[in-house]
Amino acid sequence: MNPADTERRPDPDALLVLAGGARGKLTVFLGAAPGVGKTYAMLSRARSLKAAGVDIVVGIAETHGRSETGALLDGLEVLPRRSIEYRGRRIEEFDLDAALARKPRIIVVDEMAHTNVEGSRHPKRHQDIDELVAAGVDVWTALNIQHLESLNDLVTHITGIEVREIVPDIALKKADDVILVDLPPAELIQRLKDGKVYLPENAARAVDGFFKPQNLTALRELALRRTADRVDDQMVDFLRQSAIEGPWATAERLLVLVGADALSEKVVRTASRLASGLNAPWVVISLSRPGAVTEPATAQRLDETMRLAERLGGTVRRITSEDFVADTLKLAHRENITQIVIGRPRRDWLARLVRLSLPDALLRHSRDIAVHVVSGESEAREAGGYRLGGTTINWMKAIGLPLLAVAAVTAFGLGLTAALPLQNLSMLYLVAVVISAIIGGRVSAIMAAGLSFFAYNFFFIEPHYSFTIARPHEVFALIIFLAAAVFTGQLAGRIREEAERARRQERATQALYEFSRKLSGAARLDTVLEATAAHIYSATGMGTALLVPEQDDLVVGAQWPPDLALDSTDMTAARWARDKREPAGHATSTLPQAHWEFRPIVAARELAGVLGLYRGDAEGPLLPHDDAVVRGVLDQAAIAIDRARLARENVRTAALEESERLNAALFASLSHDLKTPLATISGASTSLRELGDRMDKATRHDLLVSIEEEAARLNRFVSNLFDMMRLESGTLKARRETFDVSEAVTRAVDRVRKLHTASFEVSLADALPMVWGDANLLGQALFNLFDNAAKYAGAAGPISVYARMDGASVTISVTDQGKGIPEHELERIFEKFYRSTKGDGRAAGTGLGLSIARGFIEAMGGTIRAESPAIKRRGTRFVVTLPAAGGKA
Amino acid sequence: MSEGRILVVDDEPQIQRFLKPALTAAGYDPVSAMTGAEAERLAVTAAPDLIILDLGLPDRDGKEVIRALRSWSKLPIIVLSARDQEIEKIEALDLGADDYVEKPFGIGELLARVRTALRHREPETIATTRFEFDGVVIDMAKRLVTRDGQPVKLTPKEYDLLVHMARHAGRVLTHRQLLNAVWGPAHAEDVQYLRVFVGQLRAKIEGNAASPVLIRTEPGVGYRFSQ
Repeated sequence: MNPADTERRPDPDALLVLAGGARGKLTVFLGAAPGVGKTYAMLSRARSLKAAGVDIVVGIAETHGRSETGALLDGLEVLPRRSIEYRGRRIEEFDLDAALARKPRIIVVDEMAHTNVEGSRHPKRHQDIDELVAAGVDVWTALNIQHLESLNDLVTHITGIEVREIVPDIALKKADDVILVDLPPAELIQRLKDGKVYLPENAARAVDGFFKPQNLTALRELALRRTADRVDDQMVDFLRQSAIEGPWATAERLLVLVGADALSEKVVRTASRLASGLNAPWVVISLSRPGAVTEPATAQRLDETMRLAERLGGTVRRITSEDFVADTLKLAHRENITQIVIGRPRRDWLARLVRLSLPDALLRHSRDIAVHVVSGESEAREAGGYRLGGTTINWMKAIGLPLLAVAAVTAFGLGLTAALPLQNLSMLYLVAVVISAIIGGRVSAIMAAGLSFFAYNFFFIEPHYSFTIARPHEVFALIIFLAAAVFTGQLAGRIREEAERARRQERATQALYEFSRKLSGAARLDTVLEATAAHIYSATGMGTALLVPEQDDLVVGAQWPPDLALDSTDMTAARWARDKREPAGHATSTLPQAHWEFRPIVAARELAGVLGLYRGDAEGPLLPHDDAVVRGVLDQAAIAIDRARLARENVRTAALEESERLNAALFASLSHDLKTPLATISGASTSLRELGDRMDKATRHDLLVSIEEEAARLNRFVSNLFDMMRLESGTLKARRETFDVSEAVTRAVDRVRKLHTASFEVSLADALPMVWGDANLLGQALFNLFDNAAKYAGAAGPISVYARMDGASVTISVTDQGKGIPEHELERIFEKFYRSTKGDGRAAGTGLGLSIARGFIEAMGGTIRAESPAIKRRGTRFVVTLPAAGGKA
Repeated sequence: MSEGRILVVDDEPQIQRFLKPALTAAGYDPVSAMTGAEAERLAVTAAPDLIILDLGLPDRDGKEVIRALRSWSKLPIIVLSARDQEIEKIEALDLGADDYVEKPFGIGELLARVRTALRHREPETIATTRFEFDGVVIDMAKRLVTRDGQPVKLTPKEYDLLVHMARHAGRVLTHRQLLNAVWGPAHAEDVQYLRVFVGQLRAKIEGNAASPVLIRTEPGVGYRFSQ
């Protein structure tokens, strides 16, 4: 392939968009104003498709009682609306779930900008539409241009009417098709006069202001331009997909600088319009100095601005920088930015004198990059709350504290001058200023300086008790005092702020450090989850739940505090967060009525879980500080959860491998145990048949005996297998009758003596009570114990069997003098097929005997355990305890 | 004078209990060993003519015993095992065992294998140049194969394969051993290759290739050229 081909190859992303996947298509009928006939256009098209046999239904259509539109609904399938009781009124809403269940090929959902009634899954209808499209349904919807978020302020500006129902630009951008429904203003006004246009009550009042030809013309222009932009986009997409050579677009790229001020919102909106006009991507950055601490209110404001930018389709970034100008330009060059948009805040003359504003500096250094400066002159001062130095003033601290401090100093000064003839008490007031600065910060300090200035003048400068100053030089001294006070106050205030910041930072760092230490030490999933929940709770004060996937659902893995409950709405939101990997629940776009906010915890391999934050009735999204804490914690938690899961899986895999290995060994041993007696029987019998006449009588007899013995051994083995199967399948029924223990023990010993040469010493207590249970089961269990002891330790010395009364139960013990069993195997020997020595080259046995003994004894309500060493660091003792039935044997 | 001394290595007393009188009755002189160590010692001191070896021994794996014996001896070894997994058998044969008998077995089968193994002791040293099996004559001096007097046309590889099997007639030969001997170590895993050649060979020398009597399949293990 030659390089030219590579360059002309279509953009893979563009092709992906083309492929589309299972998503439905969104078609928006865009109009300039109400009454242009969007619903009419939509429904008449729907009718013609329906007539052509397309599966199209009407999810919701607002005919506003207009007969010509209403008539169009005849013959179309209209979904029933969902009726919701809200504040005593019945409200009918679009039924999203019904639409999803019906799943037509195309659905008509009118009024994209509609706000759903509280309690719906999504607050906005365009989100319902999103879900439908994601579910693979094609959606037709209608939208008036004034509802578009980026045009919102412009529309308000043009028409003087505030539009409350807003659709983010991204929603329109996602549309696969935009159909402009156009009507010249004059005709629209005529329709209005004819009463053909329905207007909602709130708009009716503003109708005269709104439906003016110049307004309508402006709105029409906006709508036309938007549609033209889209056509442009589609053309570019087409060119890209068809690999037609460029230039495709103007290749403009915008960089937008924002801060936490009121002007930034305007900057973002302006940039968004500019970007869509230029068809250019735009990047929004906020600059801050490293280590700078922002007030929560400021940070929240910046957050809102950034969110707005995201909604309008910009890419946002936060950058910390020492040199704003240099770093901005560096970024601009790296990103091939062609234009910069920045706001120029109103600055006082002093600030302008002291240093160059950022816009000016950028202009000076930007060279080939164009800089748009959005002026803030017309911006009203932010309403509600006087701001100074980015700090909202706490009036108690700002006025109360300085007043108190100055009053105290004045009283002290007056007392002092009464006793001592002091000339200059100004230093005393400096104390008041410094105290105010330390406790109340800079604002208090400046206030204290001002108050001191007047108090000192009033009380201590002649003439006393008046603001007039007799001696001119004292005026000078007073001004110097004021300057010194302000300066000192500023300095002390700053020190205080810095100390405060350091303390805060230290606390946060400490908490985060503690948390990561806890996490790094936690290998178990539970520990990780608990540590995370506890940390988020202590850092933010919000109730925290961590939900982890379990089979097909989510379960609460850890929660703090433990008494908060999640209801079904909360759980639905949590599952949404898991499935869509996006936040859901409280203050989000999905199920905002939930009390919890959920965020997916996404780890490298998969979804690690879902974090739930209890927001209760709190308003709005998380505070930026809390949000930062949560994000930081989640990143760490995701890694830790992933690691813990991995560890758990490893353990599982190891266990699985171990069990596979055991299975293989088990089959080898089963095969050996079955085939050895068979080999003897087969070998001995064929030997007798083929070579018997060449053998003497004793040899022939011995071979016959060995056949018998091996047949018996095979029989025991098969019985054991059957016993095991009965135990495992639960078909074993222990009889419940009283029987004599002594007899059962004696019989079992007799049986085992026939089989083994090992010696048994039996000692039974006198007058053993009867026990409840099944004599046969106990006999078999004891036989297995005796057989086991004889086989493994019969050669080491006599095996002792004791039985005695022990309170309300009977205890039987079997003690051998073999080499014993390691402690870690004492429980395992009761496991099915477990044998203390490995491989198939050891004493014949099935590995079932002890397992069956335990099964039988437990079926009778007794217990069995093994102890080792039993005597003098040797031997094994098995202790069987059975409930006594009362009554003597 | 006995037919030969046979060392029986098995830790199961019941097996020893019937093998000993059976082998004695068949005219052999049996010697018993219960462990691998004992087997290796007796293989030197008792000078047996053949070893019957169980693979599951208490002190070591039977295959270890084969390896140790094969380092100094070409003594025929017949493996006796309850392990019916093919891989175990193949490993034992590849290590140099001459044959195997699976438990449980009839004494007749074991004795037949013993006779075959004793007869073909050290076959390489026997300078035979002519074999005759069931109407098929291999004349190595003339490099000629005839069937019922008619010459059979064989490719060089088919001829090599046939001669190698004939030299080890009665013994089981694993796929790997055959591939190694005829095609060289590089082709030791090409079992499919071997199957094709055996098929061609059967078509040329067997009376009925569908039910072969000369080249018999040992399922999953290899082939045995019968006499």
